[in-house]
Amino acid sequence: MKIKEEMKGDVLVITLSGKVIGGPELIDVKDVFQKAVDRDHRKVLLDLGKVSWMDSSGLGVIVSGHTTLSRAGGALKILNATKKIHELFIITKLITIFETFTDEQEALDSFGD
Amino acid sequence: MRPIEMRFPSEASVLEPVQQIIEAVGRAADVDEEELSSLSVAVVELVKNAMEHGNRNDPEKMVTVSFSIFPNRIRFLIDDEGTWEPEKALGFNPGEGDELLSTRGRGILIARNLAKWVEFGLTPEGKTRVTLIWPLT
Repeated sequence: MKIKEEMKGDVLVITLSGKVIGGPELIDVKDVFQKAVDRDHRKVLLDLGKVSWMDSSGLGVIVSGHTTLSRAGGALKILNATKKIHELFIITKLITIFETFTDEQEALDSFGD
Repeated sequence: MRPIEMRFPSEASVLEPVQQIIEAVGRAADVDEEELSSLSVAVVELVKNAMEHGNRNDPEKMVTVSFSIFPNRIRFLIDDEGTWEPEKALGFNPGEGDELLSTRGRGILIARNLAKWVEFGLTPEGKTRVTLIWPLT
């Protein structure tokens, strides 16, 4: 799994790629949300379009990121969840928590000023 | 066919090999390419639960995954070295209320939704055994 960070305006876009399968590397994902808050980046868009495989461990760190950002007054939104990942969000009802987008500009605009 | 059996230590490093093996089994049984990841997610979730709740993440303790391919289904058996009951081990419902935002505990929920049949029972030796049936169409 790889993690890429990029600022687009005042939104931090975090792109995950590869398999999100559990184990120590998930701590890196958890950390990236905490570091975003530490650097005062409270608008975070998580791009899952390049994630080839994900299970409940991946959902767990995304929920952790949501909690970290919400407590800091920020927001975590989801971009490009694949059909399979979207299915996991529906099964676990996390779809009721997260705003999801398929268009990056629309997602960026949704954060507002 | 007689079951084919694989044994894995209870450590996270085996999860990706398990995922790849399960998809290879599915491919050999002509599971639709689009459904292979759902199959492997369901089995890996149960393997992770066996490691955590049955074997307490002790790398000396093994998880055994066996499978049999029949004309209309694949049957997976996931055995660990402990004894636990899923609802008791979870202790909460991760899809409801305040627990919606729990960072863990969704594995069985996901496995039960992706697979057509998931049943918890015991091996003849009294250890936890999970049976997962994947129909072949």
